[in-house]
Amino acid sequence: MAYSFPEEVLEHVFSFLSSDRDRNAVSLVCKSWYDIERWCRRRVFVGNCYAVSPEIVIRRFPELRAVEMKGKPHFADFNLVPEGWGACAYPWIAAMAEAYPFLEEIRLKRMVVTDESLELISKSYKNFKVLVLTSCEGFTTDGLASIAANCRHLRELDLRESEVEDLSGHWLSHFPDSCTSLVSLNMSCLGSEVSFSALERLVARSPNLRTLRLNRAVPLERLANLIRRAPQLVELACKQLKALSGFWDVVPSYLPAMYSVCSGITSLNLSYAAIPSSDLVKLISQCQNLQRLWVLDYIEDSGLEALAASCKDLQELRVFPSDPFGAEPNVSLTEQGLVSVSEGCPKLESVLYFCRQMSNAALIAIAKNRPNFIRFRLCIIDPQAPDYLTLEPLDAGFGAIVENCKELRRLSMTGLLTDRVFKYIGSHAKKLEMLSIAFAGDSDLGLHHVLSGCDSLRKLEIRDCPFGDKALLANAAKLETMRSLWMSSCSVSFGACKLLAQKMPRLNVEVIDERGPPDSRPEDCSVERVYVYRTVASRRRLDMPDFVWTLDEDSSLRYS
Amino acid sequence: MDDHLQLDLALSNTFNRNLPRNDEKKRRFDELFSDDEITSNKRTLPLLIWNDNRNLDCGCVDVEGDAVVGWPPVNSRMRKVAEHHRRESTAANYVTVDNGGGGGGGGGRLNSMYVKVEMEGIGIARKINLGIFGSYQALTAALMAMFGKRREMYKLTYRDKEGDWLLAGDVPWERFVRSVRRLKLLKKAW
Repeated sequence: MAYSFPEEVLEHVFSFLSSDRDRNAVSLVCKSWYDIERWCRRRVFVGNCYAVSPEIVIRRFPELRAVEMKGKPHFADFNLVPEGWGACAYPWIAAMAEAYPFLEEIRLKRMVVTDESLELISKSYKNFKVLVLTSCEGFTTDGLASIAANCRHLRELDLRESEVEDLSGHWLSHFPDSCTSLVSLNMSCLGSEVSFSALERLVARSPNLRTLRLNRAVPLERLANLIRRAPQLVELACKQLKALSGFWDVVPSYLPAMYSVCSGITSLNLSYAAIPSSDLVKLISQCQNLQRLWVLDYIEDSGLEALAASCKDLQELRVFPSDPFGAEPNVSLTEQGLVSVSEGCPKLESVLYFCRQMSNAALIAIAKNRPNFIRFRLCIIDPQAPDYLTLEPLDAGFGAIVENCKELRRLSMTGLLTDRVFKYIGSHAKKLEMLSIAFAGDSDLGLHHVLSGCDSLRKLEIRDCPFGDKALLANAAKLETMRSLWMSSCSVSFGACKLLAQKMPRLNVEVIDERGPPDSRPEDCSVERVYVYRTVASRRRLDMPDFVWTLDEDSSLRYS
Repeated sequence: MDDHLQLDLALSNTFNRNLPRNDEKKRRFDELFSDDEITSNKRTLPLLIWNDNRNLDCGCVDVEGDAVVGWPPVNSRMRKVAEHHRRESTAANYVTVDNGGGGGGGGGRLNSMYVKVEMEGIGIARKINLGIFGSYQALTAALMAMFGKRREMYKLTYRDKEGDWLLAGDVPWERFVRSVRRLKLLKKAW
């Protein structure tokens, strides 16, 4: 120890490290560095709440200020994970309430959060600042009232995409008059009306408010008033901007207010608003600094062309379907819109695009235009649609994407796809971290290409593909290098699940099947769903519902 | 992939077994509609839709609602919003779009008036876009061609927005189109 730096110096050096990867690397150097680092780590990200237990985290990192955690697998968003599967936040909240009195930030995604948890949060941390609940459920506006009332230094309250039981709009009034710290408020998922005057007063006393996402139809004059009081807004979203159609003609006196705000807006979320293309174009062409746009397909190809012409800073585009279950197109949005944007927006790196037709030619053009893509998610409404011009599979098109976009980290594919596309992915997509596949492939070879070729793969989610036991078992070791694998409606047998669990003790292999115990059926019978994830917590989690089976330590079948 | 078997996605062999082949009837239906509505080359969303593997055994399949569980992959909020917009557009309340920018053909039509159609005695329901018809006669002719039956054998009934089942033809066409939610063809008594 005579030749090492004093602890305080090392701690000071480590304080410049913010990335988890760097800090993890530092803690592997030697025991004393591990020890120093763990006492000064302030932020932790747990990608899978079942990969580790609260006790382990608390024991290792006694002085956390911020925790971020994810629960259910992504496909839970589309009803593929049965209700009651798990991801309850309470055990974590309760453990942290005791261990971290100075905790300031909690960010949860896809977890079940109860009012009890929210109340515990609001009362346990004197300096609580940030609460972000993304795609969470299980709480009501009563829980929000506790947060508003008790968190005196709240800076950020963000409930994006969460399902909140709306008991009353009065929760907003629970923010005390002394609360002036709000920087960001996102309540767009709430159903009932909030007191607009309470909202106005809150906005008026929040000089730092930069992000405001509201729910419901905001009356036009009040919206303009709100905007006038908050000139520092950079993000604005209203659920129903139906009021905007005809806005330009009817109330031109509000236009200057809107325009002056528009030039500052960098993120616009209009994904729940039915605004015709022409009005969208008028709004968007004022927002020349737009970096992120979420919009419904009412924007159409023509609107996307206008977007490409005016928003040269655009980095992220998401186009959602207004009529996802209609058999025929209701708007004129095709592959052309995406091609236009890929041509006109040089900084575009992240795309989520729903459409009804696609061609290899378009995909190849898009790939050549934008080799800087890091996220590319394409959803064709008909899940096995071929190239609509040639009727061939879309293998070549997606192949071009992975070949040209060397930094691609996330990819979702749809359309008619054979094993060939997986060969391209395995050969080229070396930086790919997350892959979503549906109704694609011909055989196990497809899955094998992906598992053996994608060096950076962390999350793989598959539904309705003819992938089975062979590829899975042959690549068992790969699964320990990944966060998780989800396979539903594929051809994975129960026998293979058992074998995998036996071979790989550090993986939790969950068979999620609502038809009753898997051992009541032949071993070669396919399971409905299997969710495999690495874990250092005990293999069998305590909150398993009766439709989930995992193997216990002694290889006996365990269910709750 | 078999292009003219538009009744399924041919994902599993067992599925093919249960379906009647409707090729001849499909040709007559194609002849009736010369526009893009249904072309034999274009793959459309299958008219036959299932919920999950468990429904393979039952003869009657539901066309309304989710095509396949969790498809397209939109979250629950988006689904609710789409349902809300769909209901609004069938009431023809939408601002019609003047797409001076010149997008694609027919750009901006926001209403699609798809209703489910059942025929007594036939297990598989279909869906039809009422927006393309101008009269009861045109609608009935199309339905008969679709199911391959003779007009004089069936009467057209519909369920209105109040949930009542009524005989079609009594109210003016425009009013009918605004209030109809489902169609059912019943065999005449004699």
